[in-house]
Amino acid sequence: MRVALLTEGGYPYARGESVAWCDRLLHGLTGHDFDIGALSRGRRQERGPRRPLPPHVRRVRTAPLWGPPPAGRASRAGARRFAEHFAELTAALCPGHQLLGGEGTRRQADRFAHGLHGLADAADAHGGLGGWLRSERALRILEAACRARGAPRALRFARVADLLAVAERLERALRPLSLDWYGPDGLDAADLCHAVGGGPAALAGLLARRRHGTPLLVTERRVRVREHYLAGAAAGAGAPVRALLGAFQVGLAREIYASAALITPGDALARRWQERCGAAPERLRTVYPGLDARPFDAVARARGGAAAPALVWVGRPVPEKDLVGLLHAFHLVRAAEPGARLWIVSAPAHGRGDGAYLARCRALAARLFPAPRGGPGPVAFAEVGDAEVPGLADAYARGGVVVLSSAVEGFPVPLIEAMFSGGATVSTDAGAVAEVVGGTGLVVPPRDPRALAEACLALLRDPERRARLGAAARARALELFTVERDVAAFGAIYRELGGERQAAPRRPARARETIRLTAVGGGERA
Amino acid sequence: MTGSPDPVRALLSDHRALCERAVDPLEIAAGLEASGVTDRAAARFRHRDVFSLADELFARVTPPERAEGADAGRAPRRRRRAARLLSPLLPGVLCAATVAAALARPFAAVVLAVALAALTLAAARLVLSPLGPPGLAGICALPPVGYALFGDAALAELLPGRQSVPQDVATATALTLAFAAAPTAWCRGWFAVRRLRLLATSRGLREFAAGARPLLAAALALVLAGLLAVQGAARLLPVPGTPGAFAATTALGLLLGLAVLLVGHGRTGAAAAGLAAAGAVELLALALAGGAWLPGCAGLAAPVEALVAAHGTAVVPALACGGAAAALLVPTVRTLTRAATPL
Repeated sequence: MRVALLTEGGYPYARGESVAWCDRLLHGLTGHDFDIGALSRGRRQERGPRRPLPPHVRRVRTAPLWGPPPAGRASRAGARRFAEHFAELTAALCPGHQLLGGEGTRRQADRFAHGLHGLADAADAHGGLGGWLRSERALRILEAACRARGAPRALRFARVADLLAVAERLERALRPLSLDWYGPDGLDAADLCHAVGGGPAALAGLLARRRHGTPLLVTERRVRVREHYLAGAAAGAGAPVRALLGAFQVGLAREIYASAALITPGDALARRWQERCGAAPERLRTVYPGLDARPFDAVARARGGAAAPALVWVGRPVPEKDLVGLLHAFHLVRAAEPGARLWIVSAPAHGRGDGAYLARCRALAARLFPAPRGGPGPVAFAEVGDAEVPGLADAYARGGVVVLSSAVEGFPVPLIEAMFSGGATVSTDAGAVAEVVGGTGLVVPPRDPRALAEACLALLRDPERRARLGAAARARALELFTVERDVAAFGAIYRELGGERQAAPRRPARARETIRLTAVGGGERA
Repeated sequence: MTGSPDPVRALLSDHRALCERAVDPLEIAAGLEASGVTDRAAARFRHRDVFSLADELFARVTPPERAEGADAGRAPRRRRRAARLLSPLLPGVLCAATVAAALARPFAAVVLAVALAALTLAAARLVLSPLGPPGLAGICALPPVGYALFGDAALAELLPGRQSVPQDVATATALTLAFAAAPTAWCRGWFAVRRLRLLATSRGLREFAAGARPLLAAALALVLAGLLAVQGAARLLPVPGTPGAFAATTALGLLLGLAVLLVGHGRTGAAAAGLAAAGAVELLALALAGGAWLPGCAGLAAPVEALVAAHGTAVVPALACGGAAAALLVPTVRTLTRAATPL
């Protein structure tokens, strides 16, 4: 089977999102041929290192989603069609806020889809959009949409600078419309398009599905719409910019979810957002991202016996992990169990920590637990790679109870590693924690040191329960969160989705006025 | 959990900034999740999930009225502003150094003078097109500039029947042009800053265009005033020779000023075309004058000769540069009063 793997800001660029996961997927599914379509997010990424490609990758196409728009002016006829469809697209972004799910929303979504596909067809017929979306005419259309009756309040304050910012971002987001990736030797030749991430990568897959009928599989771990709102708030973008681009992201997500044969969120949080943005539940299938269990096997085997009463925290020291709360909880634990120790191990593998925050935590620990004369204090700070903790797996061997104290959490990788290592876990109910633990560990409310302390004490005092929970956790993790399972799940999905297309004859390409495709730029590798 | 009859009110006050800023309930939902509110927490507020909680929060908050015309752009740092103000004088200073070197030791200093002249050109390029190389426009600017320095003398030499060679004008003209880079660069920067501010404050494209037109007129008037001032000052300098004709230098300065504005806003092609046209007309005049020396072609120089006889040699660059500048005015006005123009 021939699979087109579409990525944005990730594989095969070594620095990016989901790179390790894509790498494992490709190395795990050697039975298929892969075409890779990679959209890069910046000069540094594009010029930076790339992952070595396995031999069953047949072709890599790249295109930039950054930098100035491709040169070239649209023909008069092209510009007229672009304007027509862009007006429809922008009108769908502006008719004001409506609660999702209503009749108005559906009409709005139809209008968005109509505008988007009209723009795609026009781009196909007239050699790409080029820089048209940055033209004065496009700005005038955007302005007219903002000033339309019933447009949301936020848009009425739009300044020219806001319109320019929106036009720039839309031009980049819509670059997949002008790619030369489609056609008989492009995505039409693929039996399946697998988009890693929503947004531009999935947009390319969406067009392939519409033009050639190639089934589309979307793996979205970090939901684009949610990321957009979080990033917009962080970047301090103005209200009109956030409103217009937010509406665009929601519209695009809806259209992608409506066209995808299957969407595979990585956890329930992503799934909820996808459902909220219109994904049909029957087309959602959660596939947990797999982790390599092997490094933790030795630790799991060595567990058992009377371990020292110690708690371990492993991860990236940042304020969201609420280490301060953990230290306060440990203070309560020490009051009841004077021999208890706490290991706080920073793991660079989980991302760069916040040095200032770690220093604050150290100061707090020194204040709460003054070191006894001639001996180490009850709280030990370490980093993976130190003499005491040479490897990541060794961190989990430092104690019988692994604690995760996060106030805010996404998909908790340290928790899964703890489960692989057969540790009994106490974690806070944040993000996907409860879903991952699934009853094989204790879960307490976040930001509640007393509850955390009580749960830790319960496990510290009961070795038998600890062993039982640890074994159950390891069994659960081995069943759900291994790379093998992850890869096998995608192998099955590929067969399920791609098999139909392989058997069925190809849909003939639609007749077009002129077929002239231009590259947006970037290189190609046969 | 909370005893108050309206538990959402407390949440609202905790997240007031988020709720007031939000343009969509989804933005509130994302923000709530990022601060640790989960579906189970939402259940405490009698909501099915975070989304429905966010819907209620969004409905309950009225965004504050935004201040009109706020956020007009940041003030640049003082030290960098000083550097930006003084750096445009660099070509002039370098050119003066070149002249001084050439005057002091006419033979030994030739090499030094050539090097300094090259540095002057490089400095002018950096000052006039600080955001990137001017590309073709930079190359096309060389013929008109070269003609301003040596063209009049060459034309007088070539024209048949006219033996009086005018005095050396190259030194004074070079100094004038090099110092004229300063007001041009200042105007470029001033225009760019004011245009950005106008973009940030204009409430519509029409309003922007209405504001940009007088802004551009003011920038061009400033370029012209700077040229006149520099030329006035150049006449007071104790350098050999007289400066080139007033009209010709002013026309060239304006042409270069328009080209600088166009290059700064992404229209390198138009700028290059204007400069190339001026250069071509000047070279054509030289070629006609030279062609008249060929046997049987004496009539070739007649039009140039007539012009020069009536108005002096400077009429050629004045007409060429003035015409090109007038032609460049059209794309300049069209481009720079448009919001979609880059920068």
